[in-house]
Amino acid sequence: MRSPGSVRRLGFIAAFALVYALVTAFAENSYYQLILTVVPVWAVMGLAWNLFSGYSGLVSFGHAAFFGLGAYFVALAQIEWNLSPWLGIPCAGIVGGLAGLIIGLPTFRLRGHYFALAMLAYPLALLYVFEWLGYQELALPMVREHAARYMQFADHRLYAWIALALAVATMLVADRIERSRFGKSLVAIKQDEAAAEAAGIRTLEWKLRAIVLSGAVAGIAGGFYAVVLLVVTPAAVFGMLVSAQALIVTMFGGVGTLWGPVLGAVVLVPLSELLQANLGNVVPGIQGVVYGIAIIAVILLAPEGVFWKFKDILDRRRAPAAHADIVTSAGTPQTDQRPPRPEPGPTLLDVRHVSKSFGGLQAIRDVSLQVRSGEILGIIGPNGAGKTTLFNLLNGFIRPDSGSILLDGREVSGRRPYALCASGIGRTFQVVKPFRRMTVLDNVIVGAYVRARSDEEAQTLAMTALEAVGLQHAIGKLAGVLTNRELRLLELARALAGNPRILLLDETLAGLGATEVEDVTQVVRRLADRGITIVIIEHTMQAMVRLVDRFVVLDGGAVLTDGTPAEVTRDPAVVDAYLGKRWRTASA
Amino acid sequence: MKTGISRLAKYAAIAAAVVTASWSGVSGAAQDVEVGLIAPMSGPWARQGEVMKLAADLAIERINAEGGIRSLGGAKLKLSVFDTGDTVEKAKNAAQRMVANAPDLVVATGAYLSSFTLAVTEVTERAKLPVVTFSYSDLITSRGFRYVFQTSATGDQQAEGSLPAIMEMAQKASGKRPKKIGIVMDNTAASFAFVKPIKDHQLKKLGLKLVVDEVFTPPLSNATPLVQRVRSARPDVLFLLPTAISDAKLLLEKMNEFGLGKGRLPTISNGAAILDPDLRANMDVAQLEGVMSVVADWTTAAQKDFIADVKRKTQQPWPTQHFVTTYGDMWIFKAALEAAGKADREAVAKALREMDIEGGPAVYYPGNGRLRFDANGRREGASLMIVQWQNGIPVTVFPAKDAVAAPIWPRH
Repeated sequence: MRSPGSVRRLGFIAAFALVYALVTAFAENSYYQLILTVVPVWAVMGLAWNLFSGYSGLVSFGHAAFFGLGAYFVALAQIEWNLSPWLGIPCAGIVGGLAGLIIGLPTFRLRGHYFALAMLAYPLALLYVFEWLGYQELALPMVREHAARYMQFADHRLYAWIALALAVATMLVADRIERSRFGKSLVAIKQDEAAAEAAGIRTLEWKLRAIVLSGAVAGIAGGFYAVVLLVVTPAAVFGMLVSAQALIVTMFGGVGTLWGPVLGAVVLVPLSELLQANLGNVVPGIQGVVYGIAIIAVILLAPEGVFWKFKDILDRRRAPAAHADIVTSAGTPQTDQRPPRPEPGPTLLDVRHVSKSFGGLQAIRDVSLQVRSGEILGIIGPNGAGKTTLFNLLNGFIRPDSGSILLDGREVSGRRPYALCASGIGRTFQVVKPFRRMTVLDNVIVGAYVRARSDEEAQTLAMTALEAVGLQHAIGKLAGVLTNRELRLLELARALAGNPRILLLDETLAGLGATEVEDVTQVVRRLADRGITIVIIEHTMQAMVRLVDRFVVLDGGAVLTDGTPAEVTRDPAVVDAYLGKRWRTASA
Repeated sequence: MKTGISRLAKYAAIAAAVVTASWSGVSGAAQDVEVGLIAPMSGPWARQGEVMKLAADLAIERINAEGGIRSLGGAKLKLSVFDTGDTVEKAKNAAQRMVANAPDLVVATGAYLSSFTLAVTEVTERAKLPVVTFSYSDLITSRGFRYVFQTSATGDQQAEGSLPAIMEMAQKASGKRPKKIGIVMDNTAASFAFVKPIKDHQLKKLGLKLVVDEVFTPPLSNATPLVQRVRSARPDVLFLLPTAISDAKLLLEKMNEFGLGKGRLPTISNGAAILDPDLRANMDVAQLEGVMSVVADWTTAAQKDFIADVKRKTQQPWPTQHFVTTYGDMWIFKAALEAAGKADREAVAKALREMDIEGGPAVYYPGNGRLRFDANGRREGASLMIVQWQNGIPVTVFPAKDAVAAPIWPRH
C-alpha cells in the first residue's frame, strides 16, 4: 500500500538519512565521528525500547539484558571462534530475540509496576552471571590485516554510516509496525488491555512478538556497540545506565512514535558529550546536573515528549478555528413512537445456572437467561445487582464458578475474551475506553482485526461500522478530542467492526444529555434492525422502555423476573427493588 | 522548552569558549610540551582522579622548576586533563577527544579503572599515542599493543605473589609460620581474582588450611555473623577483602568489638580502599592499627623529601598509590622526552620501549630498582608492596628494602 501518507513518511526518513550521511561525510575529526556513531546506536536502542514499551505500554527497565547479551555474543564470538562481527551482529539479533522469548513468557504473567520491576531484575542478574563467568573485561582483538573483514576501519566515518544504516532499517521496521495490525494491536493493549482483549486481540501473542522483535533489535544495537567500544564489561552493557538511556532518549523525544527515540538521541547524546567535554574538567560533576535539569525541564514542559509537543503545536496552528462539533447527522427524526420490531428468532445465547462469587460475596447466583436472535434485551437492576459481572462472564473476562454458557448450543464458558470476540460476542464498557492517541478510524480498525485478514479489509470493515453509527465525518480526529456522545458512538463502532452477532452494551447511555440519549438510542435501534442481537445494561429507564423488546431484572445477583417492558414496569417486586415509588404511581 | 535548550547550548558554548581561551592563554609559549592525564574527574571515582591530578601538577611544577626538558632547550611540561566520567563509553569518548582535539599531546597517563584503561588504550593504540598506566588488569598488556606501558604488577602477579610474601614476612617478624588462614571477601571481580590462585594451588603448596571462607555482597549491613565465624575458627592470618570503604569500616569496627582488632589477628587486605584517608577520617584511628594491605605501589624509605613535599603542598595526609605512581609517571615522561629529543608521539613511544633506567624515576615503582618495559609493555620486575597502618598512618613494611617501618606481627 503506497498511500501519499506513506510516501511522505518515507520521504522524511530518507531526508534524515541523507542529511546525516552528508554531515558524517564532512566530519573530519575522529571524535565527532565517534559521536556521530554513538547517536544512531542509542537511537536504535530507543527504537527497540519503543517497539515494545512505547507501543504496548508495558514499561521495561530491563532492555540492557538484550543489549548486553548482543554485545557479549559479538565479543565472545570473535574472541573464541574468530567470528567476524559482520556475521556476529545478525546472530546477536537472534540471541536478543530468543532472550526476549525466554524473558517474556514468564514475565507477562505480571502486570503494571510488577512487570516493570521484574524486567529490572534480568540485566542485574545477567551482570552478576557474566562477572561470575569471569568475563569482567573483554577486549575485541585488534585485527591488523584485512581489518575491514572484522569491521575494523581506519576511517571512522564508516562506523557512523553503518550505525545510520541500522537506525534507518529500524525506523523502517518501526514505521511498518506502527501502521500495521501489529502496531495497532500493541497500542490498543497499551491504552487498555481489557478493552483490547474484548475487541478480539490476542494480547499475549502480540506482546510476545513485540518483545522478541524488540529484543532482537536491542541485541543488534548491543552487538554493534561492542564493535564501536571494543571493550565489553558487564557494567558497560548490562548496567542500569543502558536501560535508562534507552528510556530517556525515548521519553525525551516522544513515546510511541518512531521519531521520538531518534529525536531524543540526536539531541541528548551530543548534549551530554558537549557538557562532559566542556564542563567535566572545570566543575567536575556539573555536567550530570545540567543534563538532569534539561531532562526534567522537558518532562515537565512536554510530558509526552518533544515530538508530541511539536505535533500538538503544529496541529493547533493548522486548525486555528475552534472545533465546531459537526452537528449530528444521524438524520433520523426523533419520535416517541416505538417502531414495530420483528419477532425474535431462535435462542442464540443460553445462560444456564451460572454462579460466581468473589471471596464471600456471591455476585451472581444461579442465573439462567436466554438471548434470542435479533432481539434487544435490557438488563436492569439496582447497583450491585451483578449486571456488569454478568457481562464479564459472558465475554470471558471472568470464569463462572458453576453453570454453563452456550453460544449456538456450544459451551463457551471459560474461553478467553478474544476467542469469544472471534465467535461473535462484542462489548462496550461502562467507562468509555477509547485509544486516545489514535484516530477515530484507527480505534475502530483495532476492533476489525478480529474479523479481517488484511489491513485493507480491516479498514473497509471499520468504515462500514463508522457509517453505521454516523461517525464517518470524524474519522481523522484523535479519540482524545471527541465529545462524550462521539466517544459512545466510537465504542459502538469499535465493537461493531468485528461483525459481532451479539453486542453487549454496558451503560452506553450513561452521562449523556436527553437529546444525546435519543441520538444514541436511534443508532442502537438501527443496529438491531440490521439483525444484530443486543444485550444492554442501562439505568435510564425512559429510554430503555422505548428501546428494548424484553427486560431481565437482576437483584442481589439473581434473576428477579423477566418480561416485556410493560409487564416489568408493572411488576410490584421490580418496582420495590428497583424502580421506586414514582413508577408505582405511574403504573397505577 | 525550545528556548531552554538553546539557552543551555549557549551556556555550554560559552563555557567551552572560556575553557578554550584559558587553555590557549596558558599555552602562550610555543615550546611547551603537552602531556595528558585521562582519569575520572567526575562520578563515583572523581576523588581518585583528583588525587592523580594533584600528583601530576606537583611533579610538573618540580620538573619545570628544575629546568624542564633539557634536550628540548628547557621546554616546560604542560598538563591537559581529560575526564573519563563514570562509564566505559564516556572513557572511550574522552580518549577519542584526546587524540582528535589535542594533536600536540605526546604521551598520557590514566585511566584509573582497568575497564576504562582498556577502552582508552584501544583508541590511543590506533592513534599511536603512548599511554602509561597503573591499572592492574593483565588484559591491558596481553593484546599485543605497542603503545601501552604498564607500571604496576598485574592483577595475576599480585594475586600469585601475595601469600608467599606474607608467609615470608610473618616468618621474619614472628619466627612462626602461619598454619590456618581465613578469607572474608566481597563478591567483586577484584576480590575473586585475588583469592583465585590462593584457593587453586597455594594453600596446598604452602601446607595451609582454610578455616573460614565467607563471601558477602556489598554494601554489608551487618558484619556480626561474619566476624563471629572468624573468631570461632581462629585463623592465624585473615584475608579481609572489602573494596568499599564503608564495608571496610564496618568489618574493622566489628573485629575490634570482638577483640580481634589492633593486630591481634593479623589482617591483610588488597588494594588501597582500606588505606584510604577517608577511612581514618571516619573511624577510631586506634582500630586501624596493624591492618595490612597488598598494593602495587606505595611510598618508600627513599622518598622522605617527596612525602614531606606532598604534605606541605597538597594537604594530602599521605600520598596513596595513585598519587605516587602518577607523580612518577611525570618523571617517566620527562626521561622519555629527554631521550627522544623531540616532542613527538612516535619518538616518545620509541624512547619508552627502549627505556632502561636505574634509579631516577624507578624509585617510584616497587621492584628491582630498574625501569624497563618488556615487549608487551609490562614493567620488568614489577613487584607488590605490603602496607600496614602504624600509628594512624599506612606505611610500607614489605619488601624489606623499601620498608619505611618493620612489620608488626603478633607473637602468640
